Amino acid sequence: MSAGRASSNRKVALMAASAAVAMLGLGFASVPLYRIFCQVTGFGGTTQRVDEARAATVQDSGRTMSVRFDANVERGMPWEFKPLQRTDTVTIGGRDMALFWAKNTSDKTIVGTASFNVEPEQAARYFNKVQCFCFTEQTLKPGEEVRMPVLYYIDPAILNDVNNKDVEQITLSYTFHVTSVSDGDAGGKALDQAGTGG
Amino acid sequence: MTSGKTSFGLGRAVSSLALSLAAALTTALPAFAQEAPAAPSALATGAANGAAQASGAGSYTPMAPTPGIGMPVDGGIGLQEQFSKVGEYGHAIHHGLLWVIGLITLFVLLLLVIVAVRFNRRSNPIASKTSHNTLLEVVWTLLPVLILVGIAVPSIDLIAKQYKPAPKDALTIKVTGNQWFWTYGYPDNGDFEVISNMLNVPDAPVINNGVREVGSQPWDGPSQLEVDNRMVVPVGEPIRLQITAADVIHSFAIPSLWFKLDAVPGRINEKVLVIEKPGVYYGQCSELCGVKHAYMPIAIEALPRDKYNAWVLTHAGGEIDGQDKPAPATAAPVPTADASEAPVVDATAEAE
Amino acid sequence: MATTADHFQAHPEDHSHHDHDHKPAFFARWFMSTNHKDIGTMYLIFAIFAGIVGGLFSGMMRVELAEPGIQYLDTFATWFGAVNPDFNSTLHTWNVLITAHGLIMVFFMVMPAIIGGFGNWFVPLMIGAPDMAFPRMNNVSFWLTFFGFISLLFSAFVPGGTGNGAGTGWTVYAPLSTSGSPGPAVDFGIFALHLAGAGSITGAINFITTILNMRAPGMTLHKMPLFVWSVLVTAFLLLLSLPVLAAAITMLLTDRNFGTTFFDASGGGDPVLYQHLFWFFGHPEVYIMILPGFGIISQIVSTFSKKPVFGYLGMAYAMVAIGVVGFIVWAHHMYATGLSVNTKMYFTAATMVIAVPTGVKIFSWIATMWGGSIEFKSPMVWAIGFIFLFTVGGVTGVVLANGGVDDVLHDTYYVVAHFHYVLSLGAVTALFAGFYYWFPKMSGRMHSEFLSHVHFWVFFVGVNMIFFPMHFLGLQGMPRRYPDYADAYTQWNHVATIGYMVMAASLVVWFINIIYAFTAGKRAADNYWGEGATTLEWTLSSPPPFHQFETLPVIGETAHH
Repeated sequence: MSAGRASSNRKVALMAASAAVAMLGLGFASVPLYRIFCQVTGFGGTTQRVDEARAATVQDSGRTMSVRFDANVERGMPWEFKPLQRTDTVTIGGRDMALFWAKNTSDKTIVGTASFNVEPEQAARYFNKVQCFCFTEQTLKPGEEVRMPVLYYIDPAILNDVNNKDVEQITLSYTFHVTSVSDGDAGGKALDQAGTGG
Repeated sequence: MTSGKTSFGLGRAVSSLALSLAAALTTALPAFAQEAPAAPSALATGAANGAAQASGAGSYTPMAPTPGIGMPVDGGIGLQEQFSKVGEYGHAIHHGLLWVIGLITLFVLLLLVIVAVRFNRRSNPIASKTSHNTLLEVVWTLLPVLILVGIAVPSIDLIAKQYKPAPKDALTIKVTGNQWFWTYGYPDNGDFEVISNMLNVPDAPVINNGVREVGSQPWDGPSQLEVDNRMVVPVGEPIRLQITAADVIHSFAIPSLWFKLDAVPGRINEKVLVIEKPGVYYGQCSELCGVKHAYMPIAIEALPRDKYNAWVLTHAGGEIDGQDKPAPATAAPVPTADASEAPVVDATAEAE
Repeated sequence: MATTADHFQAHPEDHSHHDHDHKPAFFARWFMSTNHKDIGTMYLIFAIFAGIVGGLFSGMMRVELAEPGIQYLDTFATWFGAVNPDFNSTLHTWNVLITAHGLIMVFFMVMPAIIGGFGNWFVPLMIGAPDMAFPRMNNVSFWLTFFGFISLLFSAFVPGGTGNGAGTGWTVYAPLSTSGSPGPAVDFGIFALHLAGAGSITGAINFITTILNMRAPGMTLHKMPLFVWSVLVTAFLLLLSLPVLAAAITMLLTDRNFGTTFFDASGGGDPVLYQHLFWFFGHPEVYIMILPGFGIISQIVSTFSKKPVFGYLGMAYAMVAIGVVGFIVWAHHMYATGLSVNTKMYFTAATMVIAVPTGVKIFSWIATMWGGSIEFKSPMVWAIGFIFLFTVGGVTGVVLANGGVDDVLHDTYYVVAHFHYVLSLGAVTALFAGFYYWFPKMSGRMHSEFLSHVHFWVFFVGVNMIFFPMHFLGLQGMPRRYPDYADAYTQWNHVATIGYMVMAASLVVWFINIIYAFTAGKRAADNYWGEGATTLEWTLSSPPPFHQFETLPVIGETAHH
């Protein structure tokens, strides 16, 4: 094999290898990219998060929408968690508050995080949360109960979206997951989440 | 060796008394409602509890399924008969597709036979050298495009119909997949929960803590498909099914209702279901979820609204559109049953 | 195979510094090989061995499925080291079987055979190159694949949660594969994929460089045989899809072992993202398995029709189109996962597009035969069988492409039937076609045409008996990955199990044929298929010399494709 061919082989191989490395990078980058994609488009039923300033600009449309609330805990998490209202009729564009209630039924302090989504999915990009217990971790001491608010509004732009013309009720769902468990006092050492079941 | 996640079933049952309560009640009720005193031995505990809590609040006798309806049939070669509008539409589309693909396959076979007969070495000793025919190539590119467009139009229409959101006042039922059983929550009827386990198969190991063998009650459907507590729904009205999972991904599937939607932990999936005819419809978990993936069937019993309401009232906390709950006293004797009735046998076995 | 044959020399004395066909000693030749033909042979032997293992696993599954209930799984569980298996570890063995069968057949049978085996052997020969661009990397690719297989086999004997082995399915969906499967088995399974993936990526780089850079003078891209085109497209698919799988399963590993939550909702991850990543790889992967088969079929159909391939450019670019479109249809594997309605509509439409270039290929093969003077030699019989079986598998793919229809068929035996028609009956049939086409070239010995035809017909009857009834089971709603089923599914499962035995008998015929060839087979001439075989490998001896084309061949204007 001539030296010229060897070096041009190396060039082609390097280009191919960099394509592979780029795809590898893209594979890892897909985690944040997917998150951003979901946040922007509401893909997968991801709700929008807005600040007070933005929320203040929204106009009340005068039309209403039914909202349903759903609450779950992952298997083995010793919390009771439920919405304090099953459904609510809200004005589209008007800010509303929903309350959820959670209770730690164990004798450990448990930190939980909530995952969430909206169904039907196409409504998610119009579902704006101004304040939510799902933005941060929640810590409940043994036996502690807590009422947790969600401040939200539905963007009136939903009324102009053909994909949402048949949507009569939007469900907002939460699932609490164990983030860490500690004995009695808060701030203790986090135990393996898997240990909480038995 | 303590495998954490597998013991969650225990944790859940222990942590939620209300849940165990519902489980015990729903397990007990069939025997109670049947009025037949000869309960099989496996039911002894449940039957005793059932007798103790008899009240006039509701009534329910499970429906016996019609053989061959809502379930696979022996040696069947086609789709199961459909009992939803979407299913009938989908069935028709599949029927059309079957013609299209059947004809295409036969056409290819015919061409192959012609080629083999006319252009073998004996019939055609001198091969032509033709290797291009632009017109032909354009035709066999465009013709499939037209066929596919013809398929795509009804197909996309079907998707639109399947995913038309449920109306505002549709009854909402919450389905949760667990390793390896289903729970059905009724948030619009007082938020009680039904735990549904497969019935034991004779001479086979006990599944979860299945309380009795299939066939021990007159209403039992096929083995592997029948459960202790069915998901009871009203017939003829839209139901908003909200599906999630507590551990790994499961899939809620009923072939005769053209329904399949994954149960994904950490989120809900939603789809509307309208059942046209009263009956029992069977399905099975359709996403690999661990060792007993094959043993967590789904049985849906569609009842007229009044019978559905009566079924609701057999549950502690069951209520219909603001009607009063049955007296709380009915649920009182139950707690003895919770440890034996909740589906925790696997979990306890593995927790050590 | 080539070990037995050093009788023919095409270019005995091209270079003085080479001995006649100088070959290294046994260990150096087979363990440190840098010769593309030897490495190809190693890949083929490896693939046959892995195929036997994967085939035995499927036999175990078919035996268990012959009747409802659990009959043999507890025995099988003991084979993987379980002592007195309880019900859970018995059932776990089922999940290990389905997982291992899938992974072995995809990564350690079809891919090594069709790309590593035939690709290594014939890409350099067909483009007039003396060897692959990076012979030592070629060797590394093989051994990475080999140790991947060892890692996968090893995983079956270590704890995987509810029993020994990885029971996650070949898709390794989170969270079943993360929080749902404690124990090292799944880690070894994932490591196996890493190794095999790394082997395939280095192989792909090698093929791309070889094909783009090492062609003989005059061998322009548009003169390359279609098999080379198919390997080129395949190599690009591997290069762009496998790293995504590598990233996804690496994140699975860290989720399993280091507390990350990429795919775990409890930490803000999403298990559905894993499915997107897996199928972004997984869909191109199915074309990786079938495209080289397309290439093999094109060579064979042209050879035995004694005609050039009809619509050569259309054929080549149809493969490119399949490869490109293959990257934007992945979510049709996820119709039931809770995609939004618009997403389902898009993936339905996009998926159906693939039927167009696939149709072009089918019709072009038939048009190649049309007007030909066809000899029904063994490779041609297999190739015609391929065209028909692939058509059957392809049209059920059109049915499954419909998101709305998939709601009743997803994850049922209909899907199993579909992908076995395109892979087990498609890719594997193409492999056998290629085997009979090139076996004498590789070994120097002729196989028995009679036994090859017997092999074909018994195999054809067997596989159709296994997989055609699975359409019925799927339409009736039988879910996949079930060791046990309702009584109503018994009849067709029973037929399928009998079909498996028929298919297994055909493989016995195949082995006899190989033994016959090596013991009593006639010596193969340079071009034993005659005038229709026009590609460069037919200008060499059978087997070709250890080093070929030391004087590069020059391809003239009239060269056939």
